[in-house]
Amino acid sequence: MIKKIKQTKSEKILIIFISLLAIFSFIFFFSIKNKCLFVKNNDPSKIIFENRNNIAILNAECGNVIIELYPDISPNTVKRFKELIKEKKYDHVAFHRVIKNTLVQGGDLEFGRKNNLNYTYLGTGSSGLGLLNTEISRTFNFTKGTVGFARTNKKNTEDSQFFILLVDAPLFNEEFTPVGKVLYGLDVLKKIKYDEKSEYVLRPDFILKFKMLVD
Amino acid sequence: MKFLKIVFFTFILISSSNANTIFYLIKIPNLEIYDDTAQNGLKYLKAIKPFQVGIRDNNVSCSNPKKELLEKKYIIIRKNLDRYSYDFLEKINFKYVVLCKNLSVGGIEAVGFSNPEMKTILINIGINTYDLGRISHHELFHIINENFKNIFNEIDWKDINEDSFLYSECSTCSENFGLDLIENQNGFLSEYSKSTPAEDMAEIFSFLMTRNSKIATIASSDKIIRKKINFIKDNIYKIDKNFKF
Repeated sequence: MIKKIKQTKSEKILIIFISLLAIFSFIFFFSIKNKCLFVKNNDPSKIIFENRNNIAILNAECGNVIIELYPDISPNTVKRFKELIKEKKYDHVAFHRVIKNTLVQGGDLEFGRKNNLNYTYLGTGSSGLGLLNTEISRTFNFTKGTVGFARTNKKNTEDSQFFILLVDAPLFNEEFTPVGKVLYGLDVLKKIKYDEKSEYVLRPDFILKFKMLVD
Repeated sequence: MKFLKIVFFTFILISSSNANTIFYLIKIPNLEIYDDTAQNGLKYLKAIKPFQVGIRDNNVSCSNPKKELLEKKYIIIRKNLDRYSYDFLEKINFKYVVLCKNLSVGGIEAVGFSNPEMKTILINIGINTYDLGRISHHELFHIINENFKNIFNEIDWKDINEDSFLYSECSTCSENFGLDLIENQNGFLSEYSKSTPAEDMAEIFSFLMTRNSKIATIASSDKIIRKKINFIKDNIYKIDKNFKF
């Protein structure tokens, strides 16, 4: 006959502790798998903007990035940017060049499309609308959140690719064309997929949708 | 303990390169701004960790200098490069100066290196043997030359030399890299001048910028040097008629 042994108080505490640990581990395992869990998603309909015509909303995997465009600083480039956004050209285009906590770049309309991603030429594609001249502002500071138009090593080669700064970059002043600044959603951009060893990303994240607040 | 220290320092040395916004601009990792206040727009950058860029024979590596060395050598370089105006530097497409030590190019120790495509020159500030000011002008000339290849025509330059003279096939093909001023060499200011036409031009230009009166004396008795000086000056004035040697 088996003799029943009553649990001691400390044994009971140990069991409760182990059970709680298992529950927390289970929750934590699923939480960290969701990279967007602690990222606030900004709803533009709940925000009051001074100039609604210059607000663009980039929707990525972790939420909305709300950008104010600066047509007064870079009129031609912002005009091109708005045109491409309104025509939905950026939808499903890759963030192909990402430097961790520094910068994200996307907008290769030719080789960066989700259904036609071409790793060989990614980053070299064009929009078909021709190159733009670099619009330099002597007073503009490229600080965290600035959206600029990307180019090759030479000036006046801007087309459709753009970058967003996640840090201040004083050396970018008078080098690149500024097109706007992120008002809300920098955390969303920090979650864009990057590669520790290379600035170019294999199997990159994509822009889900890019639209103007007012069409 | 000693073994642990070796492992620790090895880890630091081989740890991943630090890509930042400077890397985005000029493709060199592990750099920080040293001084970006120069009136002529030049941005001085310093290595904060060793770096290596490029592959095989074209690889460039350099390491981070100590603060004291940087402060001491920066003054010399800055003083020399301050002689160029903002407009001139814009025309020649030059913007970044990287200060580091133990510079080597393709495994060969170098005093300087220029990358015209990235608007950048690298200067080995660990060098004590040569005048860093002259090295700065020399590397700057390579940027000029690359951006104005049409006016610094190498065929015309070669014609200035004696018919029997032949340059080496590359700047590091010769065994003699001497940068010291040599006299009575019939058309050349240093041993390194004899390596390639581009290096020869850069040597003439850098001596003109640093030892103008001495070069004038040499030119008075050396017809080839005189022609080379005129070639460089005439072409620089085509870029900027107000340029001051």
